[in-house]
Amino acid sequence: MHHRKKGLLSAFWAMVLGAAVLSCAVAVRAQHSEHTTAPPGVAAVPPPAVAAVKPAMRKPRPQLGTGLAFAPDGSLWLVGVNAQGRLYLQTATAQPGESGWQWGPQRLLDTTTDPVSADGENRPKLLFGPKGVVLIAYTQPLEKSSTGYVRMLRSTDAGQTFSAPYTVHTDRQIITHRFESLAFDGRGVLHAVWIDKRDLEAAPRIGNKSSYRGAAIYRNTSSDGGATFGPDVKVADHSCECCRIALAQGADGQLRAMWRHVFVPNVRDHAVAILGPGTASTEIVRATFDEWRVDGCPHHGPALTASDDGFHAVWFGIRQEGEDKVAGIRYARLRPDGSPHAETLQRIPDARAERPDVLAIGQRVAVVWRSTDGMTSKLMTWLSIDGGRTFRSQVLDHVDGDNDYPRLVRDDRRMVVVWRNAVEVKIHEIKF
Amino acid sequence: MKSSFKLHSPEASGGPMARRTVIHSAVAAALACSVPAAFAQSGKKRVTLNSVLPFDETTWTRLLEKGPRPAAYIFTTTYCSTCPDAFEKMLAFVMATRKMVELVVVLMDVQGARALEHARHYVGATRLYTFNGFESAIRQSVDPAWPNVTPYIVLLGRDGSIQRSIGAPEESMLKKWLP
Repeated sequence: MHHRKKGLLSAFWAMVLGAAVLSCAVAVRAQHSEHTTAPPGVAAVPPPAVAAVKPAMRKPRPQLGTGLAFAPDGSLWLVGVNAQGRLYLQTATAQPGESGWQWGPQRLLDTTTDPVSADGENRPKLLFGPKGVVLIAYTQPLEKSSTGYVRMLRSTDAGQTFSAPYTVHTDRQIITHRFESLAFDGRGVLHAVWIDKRDLEAAPRIGNKSSYRGAAIYRNTSSDGGATFGPDVKVADHSCECCRIALAQGADGQLRAMWRHVFVPNVRDHAVAILGPGTASTEIVRATFDEWRVDGCPHHGPALTASDDGFHAVWFGIRQEGEDKVAGIRYARLRPDGSPHAETLQRIPDARAERPDVLAIGQRVAVVWRSTDGMTSKLMTWLSIDGGRTFRSQVLDHVDGDNDYPRLVRDDRRMVVVWRNAVEVKIHEIKF
Repeated sequence: MKSSFKLHSPEASGGPMARRTVIHSAVAAALACSVPAAFAQSGKKRVTLNSVLPFDETTWTRLLEKGPRPAAYIFTTTYCSTCPDAFEKMLAFVMATRKMVELVVVLMDVQGARALEHARHYVGATRLYTFNGFESAIRQSVDPAWPNVTPYIVLLGRDGSIQRSIGAPEESMLKKWLP
């Protein structure tokens, strides 16, 4: 009897242990996989109580990044990606009087099998050149994470037809060639600039990590309006890895590139380089001195435009102000070489400002940004009529939910800000 | 708790000591499961998450009120090259403390299969969330002053204390988090 009782007890405790171990195994198995490649789709795992209130909708984030330019006839052209991920072109024409702008129908563009990156920092680009040339560039994401090629569609008949896509750079490694920017210089030479990780990949490794700091800025040029390009040329080592590159043409006709750099050891301020003709290398000049030290990813690039005596620049950074580290969008004027006029530094008076753009016509300077509070985003402007010495701010628009960064566009006649949301693309005239 | 998982010798089985050991083992195993935190991840064999949970504008408040403590939330993006290093630092600290800690990764820019594919950079995490909704609104629900820089890390202490860091937290913050 004693032995039978002892046996029953042993069996009971064995069952308790077995049940516990089994439940543990099931729970662990449900949340984890021992394979580094996850199965496709979303596994049906019972979510913890804190997350189980709502079913998972998993709506993909809309790709709202757009490229914009005025055509020689004064119409406004937009290139973007639709809900199906297809690249499209759309044209708006100014209506008589105060009637605003009227968008025409979307026209799909053939990118063969290319997917197109169209988030805010890495959006499609649109550029008008001489002799009826229209260029569209985009990043084609490749299968490996954070890799891509810079691709281009080219028209020689003022945008009626476009070529098949082709790759702009010579290097064909499956690595980062992304965040491209395009512009013509004063001589009509086309410059393409992008973030490139070939030096990071080639650098010695320490453990499983590259010893290279950040990424690099590369460029090439085309003297025939984008039909052919010269060799890839390095502009600078050690750029930040995923912030857009700003381009602007100076009074001397030469382009400047401004990007977020990683100064020693991990200072993520900005640098400027003059993009001269051919393959000549240039010195880089430090343009901002926030002294923001961070091993992090701002994903928030600068904007740059020419002034009468240099450039206007806006950027995001975190800077020591008194006892506090203050995040914000800052404005300053730069000399022709890219170095700052320190006395012109101002922080935009909006703690929630993000994604700024800047454009100028003579003494009139416009800075735009979005300011988000919960689901509502406001389109803000900061306007100057004295070359950036003083500004007045104004709310232009607001929208609920997803939206792109506001983009300034100008031609000789006007300046507008274009703001795309999940439903429509709105155009606002900038009135100084 | 660690001693409860010691293997017991065959000659000891059946005795009172052995029964106590079995009881302790059962309770410990059940406890380890009831806290879906890092016990399974703190051993030598670390594994990749294979499920994602949605993170919307209401999730953070619920996690603060009802979520596990202590916990670390690493907000990241697929383009953030510095985020895996920050995560490794966090994981190494947690493993050195031998404490049971929730180590959560929140991906802000992708969902579904793309998020799962990216989970290989965060082997050792206990949960993987993905943003589901308007990114700015979700971000501000976590911290109105967070300027969309990643990695953004929130350390939630056992007592409910909150520390925030852009980039990997400094050692002093980690020690304060898990004293």
